[in-house]
Amino acid sequence: MGTFVEKMLGGAAGTVVTVIPDYIVINDGVSHAAVEDISTVAAPGKVLVIYDHDVPTGRPEAAAILKKNLEFAKKYGCRYIQAKGVGYQYMLNEIVQPGQIVVGGGSHGSVFGAKGALGIDVSIPELARVTETGRYSIVVPETVYVKLTGRLKDGVSMMDAAFAMLKGAGDLKRKAVEIYAPQANQHEKEILCGMACITGAYTAGMTQEEPLNAYELDLGTVEPMVMLPCADRKSQAQAQITEKASLAGKELQAGQIGGFNGGTIEELRKAAELIEGKTLARGFRLTVCPATSEDYIKACEEGILAKLIDFGAQISAAGEHSVVVQGPGALGPKERMISTGLHTYFGAMGCEDSEVYSASVESVMASAVTKQI
Amino acid sequence: MEKKFSGKIWKFGNDIDTDTIIPGKRGTIPDVEEMKKYAFELLKPEFASTVQPGDILVAGTNFGCGSSREQAATVIARNGVKCIIAKSYARIFFRNAFNSGILLLTCDGIQDICEGGDIVTVDVDAGTVTVNGQTFRVGAIPENLFNIVSNGGLIEDTKKRIAAGIKPSEITPLTLEQCRKKGYTMAEKLLKKNAGKEHVEPGDIVITKPDMLMIHDIYTTYLLNTLNAMGAEKIDDPDKVTIIFDHCMPTAVAKNDYDHYNAGLAIAEKYGIKKLHIGEGICHTIMHEAKYAKPGGIATATDSHTTTYGGAGNFCSGIGTAEMAAAMITGELWFKVPSAIKIVLNGHLKDGVMSKDVILRILGDIKADGGQYKSLEFTGPAAHEMSMEQRFTVANMALEAGAKCGLFEADEKTAEYYGMPLEEIDWVCVDEEAKYERTLVYDVSELEPQLSCPQGVDNVHPVSEVEGTPIDEVYLGSCTNGSIEDLEVAAKIMKGKKVAEGLRFVVVPATNTVFKQAIERGYIKTFIEAGGVISHPCCGLCCGMPYGLMTDDERILLTANRNFIGRQGTKKTLSYLSSPAVAAATAIAGVVTDPTKIM
Repeated sequence: MGTFVEKMLGGAAGTVVTVIPDYIVINDGVSHAAVEDISTVAAPGKVLVIYDHDVPTGRPEAAAILKKNLEFAKKYGCRYIQAKGVGYQYMLNEIVQPGQIVVGGGSHGSVFGAKGALGIDVSIPELARVTETGRYSIVVPETVYVKLTGRLKDGVSMMDAAFAMLKGAGDLKRKAVEIYAPQANQHEKEILCGMACITGAYTAGMTQEEPLNAYELDLGTVEPMVMLPCADRKSQAQAQITEKASLAGKELQAGQIGGFNGGTIEELRKAAELIEGKTLARGFRLTVCPATSEDYIKACEEGILAKLIDFGAQISAAGEHSVVVQGPGALGPKERMISTGLHTYFGAMGCEDSEVYSASVESVMASAVTKQI
Repeated sequence: MEKKFSGKIWKFGNDIDTDTIIPGKRGTIPDVEEMKKYAFELLKPEFASTVQPGDILVAGTNFGCGSSREQAATVIARNGVKCIIAKSYARIFFRNAFNSGILLLTCDGIQDICEGGDIVTVDVDAGTVTVNGQTFRVGAIPENLFNIVSNGGLIEDTKKRIAAGIKPSEITPLTLEQCRKKGYTMAEKLLKKNAGKEHVEPGDIVITKPDMLMIHDIYTTYLLNTLNAMGAEKIDDPDKVTIIFDHCMPTAVAKNDYDHYNAGLAIAEKYGIKKLHIGEGICHTIMHEAKYAKPGGIATATDSHTTTYGGAGNFCSGIGTAEMAAAMITGELWFKVPSAIKIVLNGHLKDGVMSKDVILRILGDIKADGGQYKSLEFTGPAAHEMSMEQRFTVANMALEAGAKCGLFEADEKTAEYYGMPLEEIDWVCVDEEAKYERTLVYDVSELEPQLSCPQGVDNVHPVSEVEGTPIDEVYLGSCTNGSIEDLEVAAKIMKGKKVAEGLRFVVVPATNTVFKQAIERGYIKTFIEAGGVISHPCCGLCCGMPYGLMTDDERILLTANRNFIGRQGTKKTLSYLSSPAVAAATAIAGVVTDPTKIM
């Protein structure tokens, strides 16, 4: 039988395997750096070059990256995708099928686990190597099982549960996480899988069978959670996770919802419901970033964007906006933002001494009214 | 300040724009002492580090053209320059420079016989400048302007007025009957009505009480500092002031924008200003959409494209921050009555040809300084055929010819847009008996789409001469062409089609109202399905903010109003300006395309 990751990679934990990925993803976030190291492409049809981060370009340097990526895609005949929103989310909805393997250079590729596909994020040199050879080798990792029981309380989101799981499950570094959560809907499974690797896990997937040996979390006990700021990008996996109550009253200048855990249509619907009859606090800047173009269009058609616009939210282009050097939502010196984004290192959203607190859509929208955590 | 002094020359050519003086991206640095280090950084990178107090700039025509940014004058003054000698000046810069304490002398001739490094001697009383043994006449400087310079600028001057107790000028605006008196240009009629003058002529200086003052967020930090420096505890009338956050909202330049946001809130709070629009769209569009700037009235704002509401027969022109502060405190503002050019638009625009093409053609003909401190007044059947939005487009870009304002006659469309009886505003019209400096007549029936090409707004070519040029990005938006009609034109062309591979297509509706209408009518869906991305209503890339910035050697086509060097990316980025129809056709083809051929 074997675990999800063992089945996907075709070997027992501890054995060396070599697989042929179905898709290799290069985008304008971090992984574009691989382009410079690639001198041949083994299977151009499998390589997707995606523009989904700095949308629209916030710096001339960003435009130069796109130029490089586009030229690369044209040279080798790879598919170039833009204006579709967050690449992983678009692929999850439109491209990737259960049983497939996706290799990328980001940090949330594990989201494909929600669809029964294997998402692996690798280093830049590894990404370049995989693109050149078409092969990927790895020692199959061990699996940690997580079992979610019970139901979430009102006002608590699956994002809070994911934080609670990461905080409670202990060291997940280089492990595969396999989650049993029959009560979760597809969107919630995406949140669980997509967030599973932020403390260093290798990948994640869902299981239909109740695991025997598992870290167990009763969703009914989960409280709203927050991931705290951390020093730099390298130490993101060590960022502290804590209950939101311990930070109550901390003053904020900005909030943002976006990405697979804040910008999907399910989350945008929630946001629109939460502002009913409320007023945006003077001095609080709220940015809303629909995840995919499809989410954007749905939010238009369902009247959600109009509600958010009237509330005073600034609507960003569909895309991955959890790291903004220069662009809508940027923070000034010492400013604080609460965001569904999972990058909380200093400067992720602007000035080097600005802070980002990661939390659920429910928490961000509550802060939009109070200007506090 | 001495009335006779000498200084070392820094020499400049014609059309030195404010982006050249201080690049747009540097214009939001909150601290002027820091900002001044970037003066002329693209043209003369050595300027800021080597200029000495007392140095004098010598330039050609139209010095200080471009945006209204007062910082252009401020950084020159802060670098120690107290005098500029040029053939002519852009009008907003002219005001700003005096208000910053710089003496502007107008002289044609000295430019031919001096070089950078020569020493020029200025004698204000004698009205002369002398260099290399030759003496030239300079225009006279009125005593009150010299005093502002002498006092170190408008701030010190206003402080003295506050200390003395502000005494409002007694003005009785003209009655409707008096307004109807024939023989005047529209600019004259609008100014004399507000100033309560039975008669005015070009060159007269009149004191007005503007009906609306608008502040946008680029200048909030400086305005707050200026109001504080002037010691203003209250302002004349908070209901006559509107604050709009549109250049720096959403906050996008991390180190700067938060400060503009906070300062805007602080000004609103301190002076009780209720007309506050935070991230709801571009100021100039909001000014007419919210009916703040009305036909027959006077509005002014801290932005060069304030000329926009001239499309509704409103006298409106941009001013600098210090003047805004003084106007807020006193409720008054002086204007020099401009001379006027009558532009008669005959015929009918073809399908796919828009009012943008008309104004681009005019700009190409009369050039960036062709309307210097003049009122461009539009009349004729084609002018009346234009919708209000199309008129605002033309008036908005009149500024690019250096015009003080661009005015359309008030007609049924104007009255309907504003919900006003036509009888109240029908006097805003061109009188046959009025004295116009010149008259331009266009038959727009034969006009083809026009493009402003790299790198200057007045480098205008018909689309047939530019067709086929590859384009990397298309930007649809701005106060010039971000209206619902503009989006409609583009959406109709793009419906069911895809943008060219790799071409980036960015849409920024002008305001939240436009945004929501575009959502409702399905235009947003059309753009996204075609492969575009939508950013929140704001000034965006038009003013060089991070909404699609380009790299070296890339080409961008925008529906915006400026293509100065470096504005949309690096100094090697090539920018084209066009109508929304050309933009939509080009986005699909990937090369500059004539929309009339595909419609």
